[in-house]
Amino acid sequence: MISVTPTTQEATQLDLENLSADQTALTINNLNLHYGEAQALYDISMAIPKNRVTAFIGPSGCGKSTLLRCINRMNDLVEICKVSGEIRLHDKNIYDKDVDVAALRRNIGMVFQRPNPFPKSIYENVVYGMRLQGVNDRRTLDEVVERSLKGAALWDEVKDRLSASAFSLSGGQQQRLVIARAIAIEPEVLLLDEPTSALDPISTLTIEELITELKEKYTVVIVTHNMQQAARVSDQTAFLYMGKLIEYADTNTLFTTPSNKQTEDYITGRYG
Amino acid sequence: MKGWFKSGKPWIWLTAGSVSISLIAVIGLLILIGWRGLSFFWPAQIHEMDVRATDGSISTIIGEVYDSETIPLSRLQESGVELDNYNEEMLDRWLIKVGNREYVPLDFTWVLEPQIVRDETPKDLAKLERAKDGNFYGYVVDVLENGESVATSDNVRAVLRERIERVVELNEQASDLQDSDIGAINYELNDLRLQRRALELEGKLTEAEEARIAAEEAQLRADYEVLEAELFELREQANRDAVVMRDMRGVEVTLPMYRMLDVSFPNDMGLLAKVGHFFVEIGKFISADPREANTEGGVFPAIFGTVFMVLLMSIIVTPFGVVAAIYLHEYAGKNAITRLIRIAVINLAGVPSIVYGVFGLGFFVYMVGGSLDQIFYPEALPSPTFGTPGVMWAAITLAILTLPVVIVSTEEGLSRIPSTLREGSLALGATKAETLWRIIIPMASPAIMTGLILAVARAAGEVAPLMLVGVVKSAPMLPVDGNFPYFHLDRKFMHLGFHIYDVGFQSPNVEAARPLVYATSFLLVTVIVGLNLTAIGVRNHLREKYRSLEH
Repeated sequence: MISVTPTTQEATQLDLENLSADQTALTINNLNLHYGEAQALYDISMAIPKNRVTAFIGPSGCGKSTLLRCINRMNDLVEICKVSGEIRLHDKNIYDKDVDVAALRRNIGMVFQRPNPFPKSIYENVVYGMRLQGVNDRRTLDEVVERSLKGAALWDEVKDRLSASAFSLSGGQQQRLVIARAIAIEPEVLLLDEPTSALDPISTLTIEELITELKEKYTVVIVTHNMQQAARVSDQTAFLYMGKLIEYADTNTLFTTPSNKQTEDYITGRYG
Repeated sequence: MKGWFKSGKPWIWLTAGSVSISLIAVIGLLILIGWRGLSFFWPAQIHEMDVRATDGSISTIIGEVYDSETIPLSRLQESGVELDNYNEEMLDRWLIKVGNREYVPLDFTWVLEPQIVRDETPKDLAKLERAKDGNFYGYVVDVLENGESVATSDNVRAVLRERIERVVELNEQASDLQDSDIGAINYELNDLRLQRRALELEGKLTEAEEARIAAEEAQLRADYEVLEAELFELREQANRDAVVMRDMRGVEVTLPMYRMLDVSFPNDMGLLAKVGHFFVEIGKFISADPREANTEGGVFPAIFGTVFMVLLMSIIVTPFGVVAAIYLHEYAGKNAITRLIRIAVINLAGVPSIVYGVFGLGFFVYMVGGSLDQIFYPEALPSPTFGTPGVMWAAITLAILTLPVVIVSTEEGLSRIPSTLREGSLALGATKAETLWRIIIPMASPAIMTGLILAVARAAGEVAPLMLVGVVKSAPMLPVDGNFPYFHLDRKFMHLGFHIYDVGFQSPNVEAARPLVYATSFLLVTVIVGLNLTAIGVRNHLREKYRSLEH
């Protein structure tokens, strides 16, 4: 059995209400989101600290993935989706009209629920983002591939077959490849949308170990429906329920002494 | 019984039965066409028969048995033919190809089986293939050079073969000369004529220009005369020899050699020789030009025209259809108008093809082509350049005809691509267009190929619209040749489908043409299957490359 006790807590605890500017990666202010008539997110405000792992937990349909997809404007793809409020990155609202969405997404990488490698070689998958930026110099790309695959703990397994199809990898390897692809363009923030829900326990463990390493260089936001996972990998946790942010606190605090009744009910398994 | 119904077995029988019937139909059709088509090339025995006519006189017939049928005696009696000593109800009659068109009124004749009193296949009977007047059947008597005999009865076959080879060689040289060198000069002369006319129309025909054109023309004419002399020389040489044959009337006739193509002694062939002859004949059929109003010779221009037109159509329809499908699927709003457009596109596939032919003739040929002529080719008017049916208009008309197929399959392919892949690409900072080019279109390429396969299958078999927009019975020149700009899309072309119609139903001797119809049909099917297999091969390769994420 995997222990529920948080193990990755750092000594330093942050005051999430009053983060200083250089501690903050993202600030979400009064975010509301509507799908047509239905409201999916209600007045969310929170600050996501830099170089930390922040987890969003909550029952299915609580809006945790929707919130995550707001951060890199993936919801723009849904025609009926309307967002109000703001998300600030470097003190700039990413929903401003003059924001270049492609540039924003280069800065905020995302990994999805199911591994989604492109039908290309492992090498080409990793350098996809670089090629989009017009980088075609072989030596630069080679370096990026090695650095990214090492960063995603995949280098040793694939270094001899970089030109093999990405589909020849196992599910867990594919997911690490997708992470390598995301960090190849060196984003500041990495969004992980239930990255292990389609994987077996061993692969899950590898990815979780990877996440704790990733936070040294990147700010990681992870959505998970697995509370143990949130407890294991995250530094702070936000509990969402019915589109509302119920509680946002240090992971240790939230799981041991939740201040809200609904949070307590959820983490003790009474619903959700 | 009820239990049997419930078990689902009748359903299995029903479904399996439908599959079997389709399979039998397809295979049966292919076997029929293949058998009838290919047996045309197998060297047939030449029969020598004595036939007793109703008045008692006996005549000799030499020829190939082409066909036979069983008819009731009563029908013959009604038409006034009386047979003595024959009491069966039914009797056979044979269709004999007797050839020798210039000496007998009809080169095909029906013979009633009871009237045949002698039927032999002597080994010495020869079949002469000729470029004009069809085959000649008879006994080789002698070979003449400038009117003098050059063969004895021992070596007459060898001498004849050798002389025919020489003539074929000379004729080839002559036709090469005519097609390439003389053809090029004619092309340039026509070009100069048009240049002069263009300058005249623009009012820029100065004396210097006039002199230059005249000088060039004079030079070309001089070249032409040299080549013409060379051509006549070749013809003269070919005309040197002649062959003396004894035909079925027992008369010895002298046939000039210059139109001979081949001689064979089918009755004297072993199996190996026959097989060899069979393949040589197939090779000739595929590579030679048609003769004698298409009833003899090969079908090369028709094969070339069909394949060229289909390829041209594919080049036009693929980008056009793919782009339209991308707009419909990726950019158009998901609303009633888009759905209406989609339904309209799908229904376009149901419009009868002749309607497209009429549209192509009216819109492309007369309107677009007519305007092009006035803008770009005023010097050639009143003779039209693009304002007349041609291979380009045929390809464009068929492209419109097959457009719905490509659009529908491409759209299906686009909608099968998992949305996670799009999101994956967008999340890496790709724009929608970049995602389309780098991920979506490559992944949809097998579906695009499927659309193209269906389009090719439909277009290659289509004849009706082509008759209005570019196909002709006999095209003097291929749409591709050695004269700049090499591709002449304004030219008319020949097509296997139309060739079948023309040979089978428009030729002077439909009976004689029937095997050709089968052979051409078999070839058309082979060409279409070949085109499709190529496309399927490409598609399977792409499928393997972009194998989807289903695992």
